[in-house]
Amino acid sequence: MGAAGSKLEKALGDQFPEGERYFGLENFGNTCYCNSVLQALYFCVPFREQLLDYYSNNKNLGDAEENLLTCLADLFTQVHLHVMNGITLMIRAQKKKTGVIAPKRFVQRLKKQNELFRSYMHQDAHEFLNFLLNELVDILEKEEAAKSDPESSSPSEKTANGPTNGLANGVRKEPLVTWVHKNFQGILTNETRCLRCETVTARDETFFDLSLDIEQNSSITSCLKNFSSTETLNAEDKFFCDKCCSLQEAQKRMKIKKSPHTLVIHLKRFKYIEQLGRYKKLSYRVVFPLELKLSNTAEDADIEYSLFAVVVHVGSGPNHGHYVSLVKSHNHWLFFDDENVEMIDESAVQTFFGSAQEYSSNTDHGYILFYESLGAGSNKS
Amino acid sequence: MINTANGMISQSSSSANAQSPGLKTYFKTPEGRYKLHYEKTYPSGLLHYAHGKTVTQATLAHLKEKPAPSTPTAPPSSFSASSGVVRSAAAKLLGTGNGSRTLGFGGGNGGSKSISGSSRIGSLGASSSSTSMTNTNFDGKGTYIIFNVGDAIFISDLNSQDKDPIKSIHFSNSNPVCHAFDQDAKDGHDLLIGLNSGDVYSVSLRQQLQDVGKKLVGAHHYNKDVRFRCTSVTWVPGGDGAFVVGHADGNLYSKDGAGDSSFPVIKDQTQFSVAHPRYSKSNPIARWHICQGSINSIAFSTDGAYLATVGRDGYLRVFDYSKEQLICGGKSYYGALLCCAWSMDGKYILTGGEDDLVQVWSMEDRKVVAWGEGHNSWVSGVAFDSYWSQPNSDGTAETVMYRFGSVGQDTRLLLWDLEMDEIVVPLRRGPLGGSPTFSTGSQSAHWDNVCPVGTLQPAPSMRDVPKLSPLVAHRVHTEPLSGLIFTQESVLTVCREGHIKIWMRPGVAESQSSSSETVLSTSSKDKPLLSSKVVTSSYRQ
Repeated sequence: MGAAGSKLEKALGDQFPEGERYFGLENFGNTCYCNSVLQALYFCVPFREQLLDYYSNNKNLGDAEENLLTCLADLFTQVHLHVMNGITLMIRAQKKKTGVIAPKRFVQRLKKQNELFRSYMHQDAHEFLNFLLNELVDILEKEEAAKSDPESSSPSEKTANGPTNGLANGVRKEPLVTWVHKNFQGILTNETRCLRCETVTARDETFFDLSLDIEQNSSITSCLKNFSSTETLNAEDKFFCDKCCSLQEAQKRMKIKKSPHTLVIHLKRFKYIEQLGRYKKLSYRVVFPLELKLSNTAEDADIEYSLFAVVVHVGSGPNHGHYVSLVKSHNHWLFFDDENVEMIDESAVQTFFGSAQEYSSNTDHGYILFYESLGAGSNKS
Repeated sequence: MINTANGMISQSSSSANAQSPGLKTYFKTPEGRYKLHYEKTYPSGLLHYAHGKTVTQATLAHLKEKPAPSTPTAPPSSFSASSGVVRSAAAKLLGTGNGSRTLGFGGGNGGSKSISGSSRIGSLGASSSSTSMTNTNFDGKGTYIIFNVGDAIFISDLNSQDKDPIKSIHFSNSNPVCHAFDQDAKDGHDLLIGLNSGDVYSVSLRQQLQDVGKKLVGAHHYNKDVRFRCTSVTWVPGGDGAFVVGHADGNLYSKDGAGDSSFPVIKDQTQFSVAHPRYSKSNPIARWHICQGSINSIAFSTDGAYLATVGRDGYLRVFDYSKEQLICGGKSYYGALLCCAWSMDGKYILTGGEDDLVQVWSMEDRKVVAWGEGHNSWVSGVAFDSYWSQPNSDGTAETVMYRFGSVGQDTRLLLWDLEMDEIVVPLRRGPLGGSPTFSTGSQSAHWDNVCPVGTLQPAPSMRDVPKLSPLVAHRVHTEPLSGLIFTQESVLTVCREGHIKIWMRPGVAESQSSSSETVLSTSSKDKPLLSSKVVTSSYRQ
């Protein structure tokens, strides 16, 4: 706990980056799914900065009620000593550089917001991440709507005097592009080609993360290729072609139309096994490189990414597991296990690939990967 | 054990790979079937993982016939008929007794030191834990596989179909991780072993085989001060006992003889620099700082003129070894490069890495000329098959064909044919889109530029590099692979967990005696030995 923290300080020595804070998060009742994702998000520097920026600029919004965004921002603020725009922080920042923080308020808010997370049972980190990002978007959209229509206390209320800015009458504005979108959103194109008339139907889909099916002894590169590979729709799965007005054999594939700034890859390690009637954890060894390029994109350039965080699922089954996270900060890799923070060597990341053998003593497997794109506006770390 | 009616591996009690349903015992190529002939592994009871797990690498060693002693007073040779244990004990006592220098237990070249200082009399007391190995005197020719598992080095006889090794050497402080063999190394020290701790040892292979103990005997110890893991060791071809070792800190040391020395601190970790110690006779001869991050593999061209290195930073670098200068090189598509290998003629270099690609680099063009797509995971070993000959090679072929192989962490062996004049070059997509037409020439403007000497090429774009598809892709083990060795009559695949499979080439006689004869008779030819040595020194993780 505290001992590990000061050991980390000693290990980093003069290299302890100025302004960075390394705090473990206390676990109370199986909240490691939440802690590990929060650690990864905190170290997504553009996301963190934009969140704190938004929070400090907008928290004087009337009677700002507590929501998940405010709780998240509060939490990040507790670990962040940076004074922005001369605005004093609502909560005094901790003086120590390492330590433990209890994300009590955040978790309380989370449980209130979504009954899925209410039980003390083990939860899925990917579900949590998904929920959190979508919830932040919802909050930001509501706040944006409230700002444009200040006379209504809630966006859904109609004003008696009619619209002041064209927002009422159920006319939906273009969906707001929030900084959450700018960080995490990508676009997939789902192309289906009717094999009879050759017409290609394309449908765009946005995503905050890519969920990949995995195979034993494969790599992320190979899983991404499979994700984008061509699938034939035939037999019972025929495609209804609008041009042919009938079910036809078709070829379908997904291409990445726009790559996100922060690429989140979710490895589908929990598979429902019919014979067992329950979910099973796939401990497959799936290697992931520290640098990655996406090449099956519609864009011409090869986008280059760098790994900065990994959420690791520990345990042999879906229900009795634990989550930890690996995070890269200023070229050091750190291992966060709830309240414990340790520095690890870059080569240690390879111990979280999975096992080539069915039964192995190592049950720590990479589960969610966070890659940041290299280029304009990327993390300096 | 193998070759049942349907070609599947049948259950074998000592086989660690017994539970391998779905693994075929042969694979087909245009030249015929390669059949699984036998396997080598380690006796699992003997293993300790005291220092953690490391990846198995394998080295092929052709041991030459021990030259006859020059003086007639060499009584030990007359004991050769008796059991190995008694003989080597007596020989050691006698050897130290007369101080005779010609007993030559140090091995191959005859110009060996006496083993007086280093002979482990203590090892006689060690339990002569005879395993099932037959005691031979190891004075004759032999072909051996040297591989590391956990804290041990195992030596197996390639001419025997026994699964178990004939010798094991345990290290007490650290795990051995890389090794290299050179039958022409001076002083009879022909085997190099690099450890996780950074230490390097050179020993005589024959002396290890003839010793009954479980520890290294007669070793020279190097790099006592370097505390970074060894990642690759290789002998300098024609270097008279000189060798080079790469470490996880991006440093390379070239050495000759015994002793150590110190080097100045590296000022700029990102730049290539070479430093020489103050006293030129001391060892190492030079320290090269290659790159930031680990060097993963090093390999000399057959003539020893060039040294290729690949590492964590994703760059292949080719140096003129004697001039200590960077000639050319370039970046992988992405990720670290894990292995490299030269073609026999020194024209091409293969690299494999974390982008799942096998890359072919041309020394003439000083850039990558083709990418092999086919592995589903990282490529951990690459090698040219210098024993393969082009069909219709009657001199009328207009193109030169190369055959090479790669192994990956996807448990598969891939074989490739490279025909240089027919590489398909992708045309840039036109503004109207649509499928590209393939033709030679007409690549993107920058791609045609000549690559100046001494520069490193940036990562190419996916669209710029011609693609190769494998001829054959075959799952050879149940675990990720770490090494690939081509020999005259077989292909050896090595997995990370310490199992080796020997696949006989099509047409090679399968009966044990005739195949051993084949091995012995051909192993004395000059070129194949050199080529397999050069080829094997480059498979590193």
